[in-house]
Amino acid sequence: MNHAVALSGVSHAFADSIALRSIDLTVSEGVRIALLGPSGAGKSTLLALLDRRLSPKGGQAYILDKPLVQKEKTSRSDHADVGFIFQEFALLDRLSVYQNVMNGRLGRTKGWSSHWLSLRGRFDAQDHLIVARALADTGLSDLAHRRADQLSGGQRQRVAIARCLAQEPRLILADEPVSNLDPTRAADLLALITSRATQDKTTVIFSSHQPDLAQRFSDRVIGLRDGAILFDRPGSQVTASDVSQLYDGFPPETNLRVVGA
Amino acid sequence: MTRHLIWVLIGGAILWAGFSADIGTDKLGSAAPRLGNFLARMFPPDWSVWPEILKGLLETLRIAILGTFFAVLLSAVLGVLAAEALFPGYIWRPVRSGLAIIRAIPLIVVAMLMVGSVGLGPLPGILAITFHATGMLAKFYAEAIDNVASGPVTALQSVGASRAQQLRWGIWPQMAPVILRDTMFRFELNLRESLVLGIVGAGGIGLYVQTYVRSFQYDKAAAVTVAIIVLVLLSEAISVKLQNKMK
Repeated sequence: MNHAVALSGVSHAFADSIALRSIDLTVSEGVRIALLGPSGAGKSTLLALLDRRLSPKGGQAYILDKPLVQKEKTSRSDHADVGFIFQEFALLDRLSVYQNVMNGRLGRTKGWSSHWLSLRGRFDAQDHLIVARALADTGLSDLAHRRADQLSGGQRQRVAIARCLAQEPRLILADEPVSNLDPTRAADLLALITSRATQDKTTVIFSSHQPDLAQRFSDRVIGLRDGAILFDRPGSQVTASDVSQLYDGFPPETNLRVVGA
Repeated sequence: MTRHLIWVLIGGAILWAGFSADIGTDKLGSAAPRLGNFLARMFPPDWSVWPEILKGLLETLRIAILGTFFAVLLSAVLGVLAAEALFPGYIWRPVRSGLAIIRAIPLIVVAMLMVGSVGLGPLPGILAITFHATGMLAKFYAEAIDNVASGPVTALQSVGASRAQQLRWGIWPQMAPVILRDTMFRFELNLRESLVLGIVGAGGIGLYVQTYVRSFQYDKAAAVTVAIIVLVLLSEAISVKLQNKMK
């Protein structure tokens, strides 16, 4: 069926709150999706679930045509097929940029010997090639041997993206990947992440607070509120009233302008 | 009101200590010239004993090295067991309590017990240092494990890294500098503390301090003391240098 994501009636709850309410969602391969919604809408929960770090409390979920099972039972290659760009970057501060990006290859080691070599910091020529390309794509080649804790916020953001690209995932998930950046840089990086969708049919799902960016870099915008899907339509059809409904009752700074509305 | 009471208590404690101890004013008075006489007999230090000094210092160094080595091995096991992040409370709590008890026993007491059980020489010294240092080092290791940030480890899990890879590339890079620093700190302490082990017969340079003072050869004791001071300052300087290098 070639669906990157197929959810039916998926719900999730934490001890004190319901995070997702009966979500139905199908995403074809190579499509770019933006998740829009206020804080606490369930964006991060949905993304963590798609990353197989949470299991649904109800409903059925298929990710890259494989059922979502308990995370303990998820195979390494299934994890490797889904890349995640963390909001807080989640880098190893004392390691070099190069090794941080190489960490993206860890899920791809096959067999005992290459696994053993990876523990000793030795990787295949192929891995080095892929890392070099990810560094070049993110403009980090010159910083490859810098330690991660010696970078600016924007540079760290790019390392997190490069690690995800080096992973060569079929599905890229990004939790507010540009929330800490100025508008120009934000647009550049979103362009970089979503370009993988057109290049090699990678599916991209990112969450954002910014309706204009969400519309510009996606094929579909999904509005989430209180753990439920409020709307799901192409970015060009998202109206100002959709957005104001989404953010109704939330502080005005999250209620940003809509392109072309 | 309570503040006055505290001052009265402090003053009372000092008076009680002073009057009940056998240090009358007459003794205090005569102590000064005797101390001066003692110091005069220490000078000039008699460096003819340098072969003994060297032998003693090297033995102390060996005790500190082996004691630290075995303490590291023990702490690697106990530190993991004492980590809140890895084990449930019914395991780490008793382990930590045990470590606290170990820390509460002074090294010199441990050393005397070890001499009593295995006899004189460097072996009881090594055992005492191992035992004593483990109490602190295992606690430090456990804290290093507990302080590992989970974010980067989760990221590697998400990448598809195996458990071993998560340990090597997610946990170890965060822990290694802390563990190295703690171990070096403990080695420096071990070296300092093992200097006195010889006094109770547990090997090392302390034996010579003991021997020379007991036989009234204060000039030789002075030479040993100077050698100890140099060693301590040297180890401190090296330790500081290494720590600055490892930030």
